[in-house]
Amino acid sequence: MWASLQSALQPAPTAAALVRNLILSVAGSVLLLAVLHRFLGPRGRRWLIAFVTFIGGLYLGLEYFLPVRKQILWPTGIPNPNPERAANLLTPGIEPVGIMLSVIGAFTVGLGVYSLCQVHGRNVAQRRAGWHNSLAFFLAMLAMLIFGLWAHYLPKLDTPSETKPWAESVYELLFNGLFMPLQAATFSLLAFYIASAAYRAFRIRTAEAALMMAAAFIVMIGQVPIGAWLTSALPTTGTVAFFRLEALGEWVMSWLNTPAQRGIVFGIAIGALAMSLRIWLSLERGTFFSEQG
Amino acid sequence: MTERATGFWERFQQIPRYYIYLLLAAVVIWQILFPMPLPIAPSRATQGVYDAIAAVPDDKLILISTDWDASTQAETGPQTEALIHACLQNHKRFAIMNLQPPMGVKLANDIAERVAAEYGAEYGVDWCNWGYKYGFDNVLIAMAKNIPKTIGDDFYGDPVTDLPMMKGVQDISSIGLVIEITGLAAITEYWIGLIQGVYGTPFASAYTAVMAPGYYPFLDSDQMKGMLVGAKGAAEMEVLVHRPARATVIMNVQSWAHVLIIVLIIVGNLGYLFARTRGRQRA
Amino acid sequence: MNPETAILWAAAVATLGVYTILYRENPISRLFEHIFVGLSAGYLIVFIWAQNLEGKWWNPMIHERKWYWVFAPIIGLLFYFIYSRRFLWLARLVMGLFFGTAAGYFFREFFPIYSPQVYACFKPLRADATIGWADVILHNWLFAIILLTVMSYFFFSIPHEGRFGRTLGRSALLGRWFLMIAFGAMFGNTVMARISLFIGRVQFLLNEWLGSFLPWFAQRGP
Repeated sequence: MWASLQSALQPAPTAAALVRNLILSVAGSVLLLAVLHRFLGPRGRRWLIAFVTFIGGLYLGLEYFLPVRKQILWPTGIPNPNPERAANLLTPGIEPVGIMLSVIGAFTVGLGVYSLCQVHGRNVAQRRAGWHNSLAFFLAMLAMLIFGLWAHYLPKLDTPSETKPWAESVYELLFNGLFMPLQAATFSLLAFYIASAAYRAFRIRTAEAALMMAAAFIVMIGQVPIGAWLTSALPTTGTVAFFRLEALGEWVMSWLNTPAQRGIVFGIAIGALAMSLRIWLSLERGTFFSEQG
Repeated sequence: MTERATGFWERFQQIPRYYIYLLLAAVVIWQILFPMPLPIAPSRATQGVYDAIAAVPDDKLILISTDWDASTQAETGPQTEALIHACLQNHKRFAIMNLQPPMGVKLANDIAERVAAEYGAEYGVDWCNWGYKYGFDNVLIAMAKNIPKTIGDDFYGDPVTDLPMMKGVQDISSIGLVIEITGLAAITEYWIGLIQGVYGTPFASAYTAVMAPGYYPFLDSDQMKGMLVGAKGAAEMEVLVHRPARATVIMNVQSWAHVLIIVLIIVGNLGYLFARTRGRQRA
Repeated sequence: MNPETAILWAAAVATLGVYTILYRENPISRLFEHIFVGLSAGYLIVFIWAQNLEGKWWNPMIHERKWYWVFAPIIGLLFYFIYSRRFLWLARLVMGLFFGTAAGYFFREFFPIYSPQVYACFKPLRADATIGWADVILHNWLFAIILLTVMSYFFFSIPHEGRFGRTLGRSALLGRWFLMIAFGAMFGNTVMARISLFIGRVQFLLNEWLGSFLPWFAQRGP
């Protein structure tokens, strides 16, 4: 099956054949979609979506769970093209499917950008309050787009001592002078907010809150060098060493935190498995799933 | 008298936020300008990462997945730098790649270029950058079978097959260790579920301190050889590679910032407890 | 001004501009916020093209004449019908494919991720030549007790009534306490992470930016 598929997907022998194939493929695809759109009712569309969802999950799941052989591809008896690695009938498709899906997914990059442009374009067009900020958004996006691509197509310098082309310097300025520090500074604001929140909201109102605070204090002090320094007088070996703050902090993380986290991990695993099954079988209900047609 | 006393304890709970901000900034600036260096000892988790790097066979690559950006750079940047030092000091060849967010691949490339120059390591021979590859699990599952085809071009837009160190690199069996540096949850699950758990490729990680507690179970189960926990892990790795740098300073400053936060929590709670006791007495 | 100095000054202005929000919401921080979003969008497009589509789609399709790569954008662009009421179902079709494969991936990943987690729960509960009683109690017994009680906390299928139910309820209560300890540990780590980010920025402002024209500040750096 794979052999016949591979022969059908041979590269075009000439540029003219390539253009012809591209045009035919686009036209054929558009025609197919148009026919599906015209003749499938809501029920048919729902079934088609459910079918595609099912096949997507089935292929990846089945490839993993089907038995593998080194010499022949199970269950057909076709020889394994790479006998060093055990495989089954579906294995040869994994690599092209993975690459194809990652490329298809990459085309979604415009979705978020389109939404942003829509919102900010409206702000600028209608001169809404703060429209100059929206203009700054467009200028920043275009600048990064232009200089980013420009820098990408510039030839690589042979030695680091060579002077960088100005387009690359502008790109570096946009990246290291604005993009990177803006993000780093924005997220570093969280330090102030967590300090303020810890002071205002962390109150010992219950026994649970007290336990939480005790663990937090041990970890906060035990994880930093001052914790080790405070209890540096204690021996590093033997029973008393357990009470060194860094050891106590490590013990809380490894022996109190780990099993509790594992309990959570098990809960997540079972929940995610159930959710995956529901999605795969199109049993899930909600905004997306109920209105599939 | 009671009124005044209650007011006093209530004020304990109502320090204006600007004062808290200023206190925090003051402590950090004070410790950066007038540091009091304190000793840092590597933990078992950090030692595990270092040992895993040292144990990689010479014919295999170390793959460093730098899935971080500027939002976590203070932790993940020094982690990346210290890990690259560890690779180069142990004469291991390494490749950088990035699944998400794309900013990380450039930040990591800048670090790698700088550190590699210190050791005279050459791009394409001792290290390379596979670039940002969109698609998470789709990329990993395809990469396990065929690295050159899945990666395509490197960070600079040249085919990875042109790089001397990529000669003979076919699939995941050419990788001796995967190190995941990230501030994003869930990417680890892809690496473990699609690579480590299936092909047995050793896996180690470097996380931001926020997400590290959730991944201790994977350290306990030996699915990870080791783990760097935030700036602490980075500072410990700096000790192991004998290059005290940014993370070492961060941890020393951190000590006093933590003391400040603990004091603030205690002050807030003292105010709360005394105000409540007074309130009850009054009632 | 050389490019390095320009970068340092721009980064310092950007950092301080963002920090103005600590005082209150203001036009400067808003402007920088929008610039950041714009740069982020532009950068994403550049990197998706330069490091993904160009090498893995455009070059194989055009230079290697692998014409079938034309189907990738045809399928990928179906996502954009999300903006059309009439053709929305086509966007859902391709989303269904990705949802299905995501489920398929989880089926594959389930055992490699979680079965070692199950094995690792079985730790020796008796001392022997390799492990002493102190370690067994402080580590392994504690581990087993915490794991079981935390799991019982998430077990909602049996009401906490009757003899077994009440025992389960007590176990769940204990589990909740252990969860609080874990959350406390997480809080401690979160504080560490957040403060690190701020220290990183102050290091830049003092050691790199101020240090670029006042050498004393540069000398205080690592």
